[in-house]
Amino acid sequence: MEIQRLSDVVWVIPRRDPMRVPGRVFASDALIETVLQDRATVQVANVAHLRGIVEASYAMPDIHWGYGFPIGGVAATTVEDGVISPGGVGFDICCGVRLIASRFTEKDFEEQRATIMAELDRRIPRGIGKGGIAPPGLIRDILERGAAAALDAGYGWESDLERCEERGLSKGADPSRVSDKAINRGRSQIGSLGAGNHFLEVQIVDQIHDEEAARAYGLALGMVVVMIHCGSRGLGHQTCTDQLQLMGSAMRRYGIAVPDRQLACVPVRSREGEQYLGAMATASNYAWANRHILADAARHAFARAFGTSPERTGMHLVFDVAHNLAKIETHDVAGRPTELCVHRKGATRAFGPGHPELPPDLRAVGQPVLVPGSMGTASWVLRGEVGNPAFDSAAHGAGRLMSRKRAKAQQSGGEVRLRLEDDGISVRPGSVKLLSEEAPYAYKDVDAVADVCHRAKLAAKVARLRPVGVVKG
Amino acid sequence: MLLPYTVLSHTADTGIEATAASFPELLCELATGMFELMGRPQPGSADRAVTVEVDSTDNRELVVDTLSELIYQSEVEDLFFYRFDIATTGPLGVRVTATGVGNTAVELVGPPIKAVTYHDVAAVETEAGWYGRVYFDV
Repeated sequence: MEIQRLSDVVWVIPRRDPMRVPGRVFASDALIETVLQDRATVQVANVAHLRGIVEASYAMPDIHWGYGFPIGGVAATTVEDGVISPGGVGFDICCGVRLIASRFTEKDFEEQRATIMAELDRRIPRGIGKGGIAPPGLIRDILERGAAAALDAGYGWESDLERCEERGLSKGADPSRVSDKAINRGRSQIGSLGAGNHFLEVQIVDQIHDEEAARAYGLALGMVVVMIHCGSRGLGHQTCTDQLQLMGSAMRRYGIAVPDRQLACVPVRSREGEQYLGAMATASNYAWANRHILADAARHAFARAFGTSPERTGMHLVFDVAHNLAKIETHDVAGRPTELCVHRKGATRAFGPGHPELPPDLRAVGQPVLVPGSMGTASWVLRGEVGNPAFDSAAHGAGRLMSRKRAKAQQSGGEVRLRLEDDGISVRPGSVKLLSEEAPYAYKDVDAVADVCHRAKLAAKVARLRPVGVVKG
Repeated sequence: MLLPYTVLSHTADTGIEATAASFPELLCELATGMFELMGRPQPGSADRAVTVEVDSTDNRELVVDTLSELIYQSEVEDLFFYRFDIATTGPLGVRVTATGVGNTAVELVGPPIKAVTYHDVAAVETEAGWYGRVYFDV
C-alpha cells in the first residue's frame, strides 16, 4: 500500500480508483512502522470506497487490522446521499470507557489494597456467558431509557448522567429494532464486563499536563481513579450480527458493492439505514447502563474496603465516552455545515471547548477523551480541541501490536501475572491462562499514541494514569 | 491430504481455515475450531444437545450464519459445544445437532468469541474437496 508523509504525524494514502477520498493516518515515525506490519492500511483504503464519504478515510494513532474497518478508523458520510455501515461501528456497539475519580490517595489504596482487590474481584462479573449484577427483568427499561433506567432501579448517582456522553441515553433508540435473540443474549448480562480486552482498573493520577482541565474534570495528582472498559455484551454482538445479515440482501437492491462484505452498508436515509440507527442506539442504551451499573459496584467495593458509604468515597464520574458508534453530527465540509454520519470504530469522540453538547461545567475546557493503555502501562486523559482534523475524533487505546497467537507464545498467563505483580499491579483475572493474550507487550506504546494525538491536535494531554490494580475479563 | 483446521493470525482477533471432503464436513471442522479456540470441555461433564436449521443465500453466508447461530445457542443455552453432526437440508441449508457441556464445565484456553465476521470469509469447492476460512471478533 502506497503511503506518503504529509507532516511529522500525518501520512496519506493517495486516492486511487475506486476510492472516493484519500486515506489519512495519524502516526509518528515509530508508530507508522507498526501500522505497516499488518493489513490496516488496506482497510483504510477500503473504507474510502464507501458511498458519500467526505474528506478522507481517517486512521487514529492506535490503528490496527480489524475486519472491514480498521480498528481506529473514522469515516464520515453525508446523511443526504451517503451510507451507514454496521462494520464502521463493530460488534460491540457503544463499547467505551468510564473514568471515576475518588477522594483516595495512593497511600490509602496501599493500606487497603488487598481488601479493595478482593471486593472488586467478588463484585465485578466477568468471563464467558451469563451472570450480570442487575436482574434480567430490567432489560426492557434499559433498552428504552439507558442509564436512567439503571439509576431508577437503584444503581449509581443522578450526577452520573450529566457526565455521560448523551446523558446515557442515545437519541433515536427503538427497541422494536432489536431482535428477540439479542434480548435473549443480553438479559442475563446486565452489569458485566465480558472478556477479551475488557477490564476494570484501579489507577493513580501520576502526571498532570493541563491543570485547568484536570481541575474541571475533578482530577488531582496522586488521586486513585477507577477506569472501566466494556460495551453492550451479547445484546450488541447479536444486534450487529442481525443487521449485517439484513444488509447483505439490501446492498444488492441498492446496487452497492464493497471490497469487503464486512463493510456492508445501506443509504443512511433508507428503511434499512433507519432500522440500523434505531437498533444501534438501543444497544448503546444497554452499554451506557452496563458501565453505569459496574461503576456502582466499584463504589460499593471501595466503600466496603474503607468502611464507609459509597457517597463518602468521592467517586464522582469524570466521564463516560464510547469508541464504537456511528453518530449523526454536523461538521463543516468545504466551508459548509453538513449533516454527516460519523463512524468511529475504535475511535473516541473528542468535542472541543464550546461544543454545545458538552455538560456546562466541561464546556470551557472540552470533552474528556479517555485512552486506556494495556494492563501494565499507563492510560491517558486527553481533552477535545477546537479544530480537530478528523471530525472530532481521537484514539481509543494503545492499539494492538501483535496477534493473540504470538502474544501467547511469548509468555504464559502465569508469567504475565507475576511480572505485573512485581511491578506493583494486583491482578484479578477471569482466567489466568488468558492474561498472556492481553499482556502489555501485545500492545503499542500508549504514551506514543497520546503524544501523536497531542501533536496532531486530535486531543490535548491532560493527565496520565498509572495502573495499580486490574480486574480482567 | 485433507487437514484439520488451522489457526490464522490476526492482530486484534483470530481466525481459522480448514479443508474437508464435503461442505457439511467443512462446517463441522470450522465449528469445532471455533469452540476449541475458546476452551476444552472437562472430562465427565454431562452432555446436552441442541438442533438448529440454517438457510442462507450462498455458501459463505451459510458459514457465517451457521457459526453465528451456534454462538447464539451457546450463550443462551449456557452450553459449550464440542461435537457437531451436520447434514444438508437443501442446496444452501443445513441442520446442525450440536452437543455440549455446561459453560461452567469448560477449561478456557482463549477469550470468548463475540461474533463471526464476514471479513475474508471463504467457502469454496476445490479439486480436493472444500476449503473454508473465517475470522472471529473476540
